[in-house]
Amino acid sequence: MTVGIDVSSLFGEMVMCSATSDIVLKKMCYLYVGNYAKVNPDLALLTINFLQRDCKDEDPMIRGLALRSLCSLRVANLVEYLVGPLGSGLKDNNNYVRTVAVMGVLKLYHISASTCVDADFPAMLKHSMLNDSDAQVVANCLSALQEIWSSEASSSEEASREREALLSKPVVYYFLNRIKEFSEWAQCLVLELVGKYVPSETSEIFDIMNLLEDRLQHANGAVVLATIKVFLQLTLSMTDVHQQVYERIKAPLLTLVSSGSPEQSYAVLSHLHLLVMRAPFIFSSDYKHFYCQYNEPSYVKKLKLEMLTAVANESNTYEIVTELCEYAANVDIPIARESIRAVGKIALQQYDVNAIVDRLLQFLEMEKDYVTAEALVLVKDLLRKYPQWSQDCIAVVGNISSKNIQEPKAKAALIWMLGEYSQDMHDAPYILESLIENWEDEHSAEVRLHLLTAVMKCFFKRPPETQKALGAALAAGLADFHQDVHDRALFYYRLLQYNVSVAQRVVDPPKQAVSVFADTQSSEIKDRIFDEFNSLSVVYQKPSYMFTDKEHRGPFEFSDELGHLSIGAESTGTVVPAQRVEANDKDLLLSVSEKEESGGPSNNASAYSAPSYDGSSVSAAASSQMLSELAISSVTGHASQSSLAIDDLLGLGLPVAPAPAPSPPLLKLNSKAVLDPGTFQQKWRQLPISLSQEYSVSPRGVAALTAPQALLRHMQGHSIHCIASGGQSPNYKFFFFAQKAEESSTFLVECIINTSSAKAQIKIKADDQSASEAFSTLFQSALSEFGLP
Amino acid sequence: MPPLMAIEFLCRVADVLSDYLGGLNEDVIKDNFIIVYELLDEMIDNGFPLTTEPNILREMIAQPNIVSKVLSVVTGNSSNVSETRPGATASCVPWRTTDPKYANNEVYVDLVEEMDATINRDGVLVKCEIYGEVQVNSHLSGLPDLTLSFANTSILDDVRFHPCVRFRPWESNQILSFVPPDGQFKLMSYRVKKLKSTPIYVKPQLTSGGGTCRVDVLVGIRNDPGKTIDSITVQFQLPHCILSADMTSNHGTVNILANKTCLWSIGRIPKDKAPSMSGTLVLETGLERLHVFPTFQVAFRVMGVALSGLQIDKLDLKNLPNRPYKGFRALTRAGEFEVRS
Repeated sequence: MTVGIDVSSLFGEMVMCSATSDIVLKKMCYLYVGNYAKVNPDLALLTINFLQRDCKDEDPMIRGLALRSLCSLRVANLVEYLVGPLGSGLKDNNNYVRTVAVMGVLKLYHISASTCVDADFPAMLKHSMLNDSDAQVVANCLSALQEIWSSEASSSEEASREREALLSKPVVYYFLNRIKEFSEWAQCLVLELVGKYVPSETSEIFDIMNLLEDRLQHANGAVVLATIKVFLQLTLSMTDVHQQVYERIKAPLLTLVSSGSPEQSYAVLSHLHLLVMRAPFIFSSDYKHFYCQYNEPSYVKKLKLEMLTAVANESNTYEIVTELCEYAANVDIPIARESIRAVGKIALQQYDVNAIVDRLLQFLEMEKDYVTAEALVLVKDLLRKYPQWSQDCIAVVGNISSKNIQEPKAKAALIWMLGEYSQDMHDAPYILESLIENWEDEHSAEVRLHLLTAVMKCFFKRPPETQKALGAALAAGLADFHQDVHDRALFYYRLLQYNVSVAQRVVDPPKQAVSVFADTQSSEIKDRIFDEFNSLSVVYQKPSYMFTDKEHRGPFEFSDELGHLSIGAESTGTVVPAQRVEANDKDLLLSVSEKEESGGPSNNASAYSAPSYDGSSVSAAASSQMLSELAISSVTGHASQSSLAIDDLLGLGLPVAPAPAPSPPLLKLNSKAVLDPGTFQQKWRQLPISLSQEYSVSPRGVAALTAPQALLRHMQGHSIHCIASGGQSPNYKFFFFAQKAEESSTFLVECIINTSSAKAQIKIKADDQSASEAFSTLFQSALSEFGLP
Repeated sequence: MPPLMAIEFLCRVADVLSDYLGGLNEDVIKDNFIIVYELLDEMIDNGFPLTTEPNILREMIAQPNIVSKVLSVVTGNSSNVSETRPGATASCVPWRTTDPKYANNEVYVDLVEEMDATINRDGVLVKCEIYGEVQVNSHLSGLPDLTLSFANTSILDDVRFHPCVRFRPWESNQILSFVPPDGQFKLMSYRVKKLKSTPIYVKPQLTSGGGTCRVDVLVGIRNDPGKTIDSITVQFQLPHCILSADMTSNHGTVNILANKTCLWSIGRIPKDKAPSMSGTLVLETGLERLHVFPTFQVAFRVMGVALSGLQIDKLDLKNLPNRPYKGFRALTRAGEFEVRS
């Protein structure tokens, strides 16, 4: 407003000016005072007088205005003057003043929390929240109280109790019944509160949904999205109703996408994207909605392409691929690339492969370098999955001149194919040879690595023709300044020296077709994002702990997690980066060195990991978080056996489970153990993981899991109690606890059961670490009995 | 933080500001910074949105107008606050001012539809959808109660309502029952999908070879809606690899704009001939054929018809002292109407 000029020297004059009766001038003076009071705390004292007098003005507008400005001064030593006006403001008979006063309390809390609590303002807010006739006052009370209590909760027992009381049935019902009185913004707030509420009976769920159904037709997209979140959260445990909810919310979401600004539709599309990824079949008939429009910004188009990929199935693949192929001629090059990739992904999903391969081969002939490049990479992936197509592809790929391809990825793909299918490609050795001649000009280490391997493979198949090229390649590789290239060349050289047939077995073993390519995001991460529906996590496609600082994650956050069963903390390691697929030697070497570094005790990079990790025992989970952030093929705790196998191979296996202490032979559990959720959360946070294992579940057990309640009853029979459970087929998650019979030592268990793989992953945390092994055995035996008649 | 809440709120702020200031750009904001401050003060407090209903805001903060400007120049008094200060939100219907009075009671209902369509290079209609809005402009005294019913609601795919619409009557009888806000507002928006045809056709044809590309575009009426189609334009982005373009048409004007867009304004389609545009594009040296195919964007307008077929049955008004004037209009225009080549 002042073009950056500091006008604080006029403070005194402005204070005098505030005495005016002109309301606009007054407003501007207050604005000035609010802006500069921080710099001039002493002079700010002068304004207090005027403001306090205005707080008693007969005009409610002026009272409210003065009160708002008074609270906006934000000078710590003036808070004593705030208490009086705020107190009377809260009791004012005009709703405008009360609305302002409630927000004022929150501002006061942020200036000086103790003053606010000592003056008993939270209790007053609670009273007006439940009794005030004006909806806006009530809504402001709710938002103020949520903020105050959640930051107080860490220090005060009472506040955390109050915070939980906000989620109690009477309070939630009170808000729900008044929801139509609230403004659209306040409705969002209330709906968020309702989303956290856990109904005790099924009938309640239906009551709430009936009551809120018309909110889905609200003109404000924020309300619609908040309602959808409530619906999804409420029905998580009821699979069939959950499906119906998807059907019901489909139309409102699609309407939201097509109305409003690109920003709005992007935000909605990100949410739709999440839902489509979870339940593609529900949206598969609406695929036309995901067709790109010419004018849309490319961020919208990219999301749409991903959704088109996801919803493809037998019936619509032909049309989707036809549409995608049109985008390949798009002016927008990144989108053209994306759409080619999408075509490839659909092919990998095994629908209508025949036609798609033809189209990809057409792309190769389009004579546009980026199209050719993308298509080459895809053809390579396709061949890895469907070796039976090699004849058709090779014929086309053979015609591509390697000189026209500049992009490292595409070049590497071409070289890979040359090496892999050198027996079928007539001039493969010669192409490779010419590539090796230009070794110096090849800037990408990736291409050089692939070149080395390809020449080796070619050598095993057609030795006489390749011998010269191999020699040149190894010599060039040994002289290479890049460490990995150098090492690989040396490795091959020694391998050949040692024994050629062994070398062939190492470098060019018979391959099995890849059946499934690893997903970039684990289901764990996706579930977490889903739990944070209607938040920025969905837009960023990351769970909140990945982009928020630790200090901004209040304790409130954590309790949410337990409530919704989305713990990702202890299993952050399941991120499998895409690079994993191409786990070549380079990756392995790197990941090994990373592991050594991150094995130390400085593991606080892992967001939710318990603070008291003692490095060696559980670093697998924590370090993998770090590793995954570095996007390097990582040891994913106990979850991925393949990488563990690699560890064993290299003799670097991390101790996944700590050496078990000499355990007592028999462990008796208290059958009437009790633990309230609060304590559970606290303990879960504090204790380190003492044991994490993977069991298989008997097929009978898997079958019985269609009713997860049965498992809870079953475990209870073994004195292991469930505190929370959730998830959908095929992933179920349970939190159990148990107590020793004689003492109060407790065991906490997180158990993730995947019914499709019939595996159960458990993590045990225990007060008494030494007994965890025995408890694990007990747990396992109890679990294995599940489902038996 | 719910992302849509932030975006919706910002859009609302923009709407209110442009409503108040009659436009929204840097200069307007600079000129009216006081009002902007006042508005923001009422709309958001401590990061939480408060009042965003234009009607209530208008009660709290007066709109700038010529009279007040003259007054302030003459008297030197800059106040633009209305003399009668409101009892904040005294009205029982939050979106309506307490008690407006009009000499002529009138209400206008407009059906405004936008047709989004995609036609692929074989001339097949890939996707055709209509996004429509019911816009109401009401100048009614007191607290009127309106009911609006449609002849054929079954075609609607999904609907969204202004907060004033009561949900129950819609659910049971598909009737819109509401107490309108004052002035212009969007009562309802809807979507109709799976339409079978478009009112006009556009047939582009591109043949390239030998360093040039021949473009022919034909436009004509496919499905006569019964009213005149006007303001027809066809435009497309020239690909980057084009050195020059020479386009002519037998009807309307062809312009190549600075951003390499070729705009063909047709206006109305004449009765005796089918408009066509043709010309050649010269490609960059070294390029034999054109590899990118431009997308043609079509715009048109049809007055008096809602192409989705939605029809208003009747509008009843209750609680009014005298007979009001009721007006209905319909309009369809092209939204994202694109033809690929």
